[in-house]
Amino acid sequence: MSVLVLLSIILFVLMAIVGGKKGVKSFIALFLNFGVLIITILVMNDPNANPIWLTLLACTFISAISLFYINDVNSKTTMAFFSTIITLVILFFFIIIITEQSMIQGFGAEESEELMTFSLHIGIDFVKVATSVIIMSTIGAIVDTAISITSPMREIHHHNPTITRKDLFMAGIRIGRDILGTSTNTLFFAFFGGYMGLLIWFKDLSYSFGEIINAKVFNDEMITILTAGMGVALVIPIASWMTSYYLVTMGTKKK
Amino acid sequence: MKTWIQKQTKKQLFIYFLIVASFIGSIIFVNHNHAFYERPIAKVTEAIETDRTETVDQHQNQDIIVNQQITAEVQNGTYKGESIHINNEYSGSHAYDHSFQPGDEVFVTIDDSSHTGTIEDVKRDKYLILVAWLFSIILLVIGKRQGLLSVISLAVNAAILSFALDIYLQNSDISLLIICGISIVLFTVISLLMVNGRNEKTYTAIIATLLGTLSSLLIAYLALFMTGEQGLRYEEMSFLSRNPQTVFMAGLLIGSLGAVMDVAITMSSSIFELYEKNNQIKLKTLKASGIDIGKDIMGTMTNILFFAYVSGSIPMLLLYFKNASPLGFTLSMNLSIELARALAGGIGIVLTIPIAIYTSIFFIQRKRARI
Repeated sequence: MSVLVLLSIILFVLMAIVGGKKGVKSFIALFLNFGVLIITILVMNDPNANPIWLTLLACTFISAISLFYINDVNSKTTMAFFSTIITLVILFFFIIIITEQSMIQGFGAEESEELMTFSLHIGIDFVKVATSVIIMSTIGAIVDTAISITSPMREIHHHNPTITRKDLFMAGIRIGRDILGTSTNTLFFAFFGGYMGLLIWFKDLSYSFGEIINAKVFNDEMITILTAGMGVALVIPIASWMTSYYLVTMGTKKK
Repeated sequence: MKTWIQKQTKKQLFIYFLIVASFIGSIIFVNHNHAFYERPIAKVTEAIETDRTETVDQHQNQDIIVNQQITAEVQNGTYKGESIHINNEYSGSHAYDHSFQPGDEVFVTIDDSSHTGTIEDVKRDKYLILVAWLFSIILLVIGKRQGLLSVISLAVNAAILSFALDIYLQNSDISLLIICGISIVLFTVISLLMVNGRNEKTYTAIIATLLGTLSSLLIAYLALFMTGEQGLRYEEMSFLSRNPQTVFMAGLLIGSLGAVMDVAITMSSSIFELYEKNNQIKLKTLKASGIDIGKDIMGTMTNILFFAYVSGSIPMLLLYFKNASPLGFTLSMNLSIELARALAGGIGIVLTIPIAIYTSIFFIQRKRARI
């Protein structure tokens, strides 16, 4: 049996034991998301497809699966969904500019040996692909932060129906501040775990400080981590504002 | 703006001033640090397109190849101030090449006799520092004190990691796993203490994190052992100067740590919150609420790891597909390591939920016994 199959079975069993029906749903959502990712990559192969629009579309599906499928459609998941999409659109503009300027797209000189047998003139714009990679790396964390803010905000509004919009907004920001540190940490360790080999390589080949901080592979990694952190931070005011606006202003209108 | 300034204390204003000053200072520095580099740097002053051809490769992929004649001014070293000529060729896909515009700065090698040069790499330090500052400023503006603490703890963790790798490289007889194990204890204790202070909540989270990471490592080891590592393609790991299996296990350990820590602190702080709101709360009720919270977070947490790992493979997957590699081969060649990491991390996340519940209850019972 392959390692991946065995690990998947273990994860499934654990999720089912600890999470019951919701755990099973979470596991299925993971597989659906994997499917969305693979289909997106397959469509990206078409030279006429724009990787940026494809990524935005894929992220919409991924957030919908992670939010609506696991937690049903309700005001907290809807607000989390819209704040995720708005954050992504803002991030897109920033990432496109920075990848173009810093030229971190594609493959680094360190990878050239492995690419010898491949044709690199494949007609896909790798600057756009690099933007997609950064957005995709952070989508999970943005969705997680968004739902962690909108869900307790709804509880607060439920228990204090007279709360003002500003107070509710500030409550959202305070919740966000508490999770900001742990979420950026999660991303940080995930990336550094993945790039252990690269760090050891730099040290083994005694790269100088100047060589490391200008190397494409290193910049690619650092810019991804930092932009992902920005995404997690940006979704906090966006989700707090949207939820407080929706719950207080829209709530009064209905009456 | 004026009322805003009046509202701030002197200490706050001083900190803001310090941040703005070091931001401006460091940006000016990286834009004028050419003298600190031994490699020659040139700034593109003119780039003229000389030729543009359409190509079709052996897999019928259409692309364009463009030639540029670049004039650049050397910024440092013996040729400082002189102009050199560079030929640059790039493709429309930019997978391994770059197109340059006036103003771009590049590392070059210079041919002494002919005043021509070859581009080695792009000078990226100025963009890196800009992004690092933007990240820190956004975190500070939104997170205030907690934002500052997160930036500091990231920097401390990076320093510990770098230091730990140095020790590993100098003493290769010490196992990387042992060094990572020690670093993990340091990461956990420092990050959690710094962000949450010294209290039972933090101690609970520390114990739950360490137990959760340890058990996910054991399960991953067991799974690798039982299957004889079938299906893992270590050759996909780029940048390897060491035994791939060790690097993989160490990366797996560090990679799942952040997520496990996140779950542990979320669980312990909500369970302690429930206890503090109602000291008489039944342990059974605490357990049930804990499981409910756990159910809510396990889906999105495993998603974080999954996307953080897998999306990095997108460029390589595209390259394989465009070079007519079959679907199954491409996926197994490029995703096995990332998927294994994401699955093992997911196992760590799910296991940490009950571990954190029982550790919290243990501390709460001890607290009650004291009263």
